[in-house]
Amino acid sequence: MLLYNLIVENKELLKIFYALVIAMICAFIVIKTNRLFKISSHQGIRYLRNAFFFYGIAFIIRYFLGVLSFQGDLGQIYNFLIQIFFESFIIMAGFFLLYSLLQKKIESEVNFNSLFNQKVILFYGIAFVIAIIDFLWKTSYLMFISQIMLFAYASIIGFINYKKNGRKHKFLKFYFMAMLLSFTAWILNALAAVYFNWDKGIMMSIYGINIIFFLLFLYGIVKVTRVK
Amino acid sequence: MAKKRERLDVIKDILNAIKEKRQIKPTRLLYSSNLSPQMFKNYLNELISKGFINLEIDKDEKKTFSLTKKGFNFLNEYKVIENFIENFGL
Repeated sequence: MLLYNLIVENKELLKIFYALVIAMICAFIVIKTNRLFKISSHQGIRYLRNAFFFYGIAFIIRYFLGVLSFQGDLGQIYNFLIQIFFESFIIMAGFFLLYSLLQKKIESEVNFNSLFNQKVILFYGIAFVIAIIDFLWKTSYLMFISQIMLFAYASIIGFINYKKNGRKHKFLKFYFMAMLLSFTAWILNALAAVYFNWDKGIMMSIYGINIIFFLLFLYGIVKVTRVK
Repeated sequence: MAKKRERLDVIKDILNAIKEKRQIKPTRLLYSSNLSPQMFKNYLNELISKGFINLEIDKDEKKTFSLTKKGFNFLNEYKVIENFIENFGL
């Protein structure tokens, strides 16, 4: 109870710390995967890198810039931009993560630019429209629905990959777990918003799950790229 | 039946064949790569465009391929990359 109270009393500070940890993990993953992509030109690695790039940016926007507040019209515009960019980037990150798993089945040719090609521009469009509608409705429901669907699909792919090659490639089990955790976190997020009025206990559980999600990827990157 | 070679394996085999000979003629490389001429051409174009190999043409119009620094790096880190792709299901 004491710990709970301590967390609730210092929640703004903890949110910044939480975002800082996630942003640092994302930066590390982006640097590592970018290096592997530069050597191999493998498109899956490229899209995985993009996913964590967008996660990192989204968390910085939400928890660093989002802490600042302004009065009057400027404040409204500022809040509008924070929500739009945060939601768009989180959705884009999810798209890139799923696309990194699917690209070998979908992409027939190598795109020169992984951040601006026909398919990705379509993703930006969808992400932006979802963020705008959510802002107008003053909710995040569409973001939750899109991410729940996306991580449900990613969990299925993760499970299939694990069943197929899990004995040989040990990290596939953790990858599947990471997808399942994120799926759970998005469902909890939606439940907290719709039924539990952003209950603090549920929100803390979501933060915990998110940290585990990023740590699992960090573990995987460090373990798999370690030179023996 | 033998398993179909993955794209990355084919690239590794081509680069290894060039590395072994330092400089290699197209016909010899085609033979070493065990690919159809059309597939071979596609892979070569890709490797040249990615900067993994150099195409040199001498004054008698004879072509040879050599490995670039990027190609060497790829071969050195091939195991790590292969491991990464398989462990992340990419």
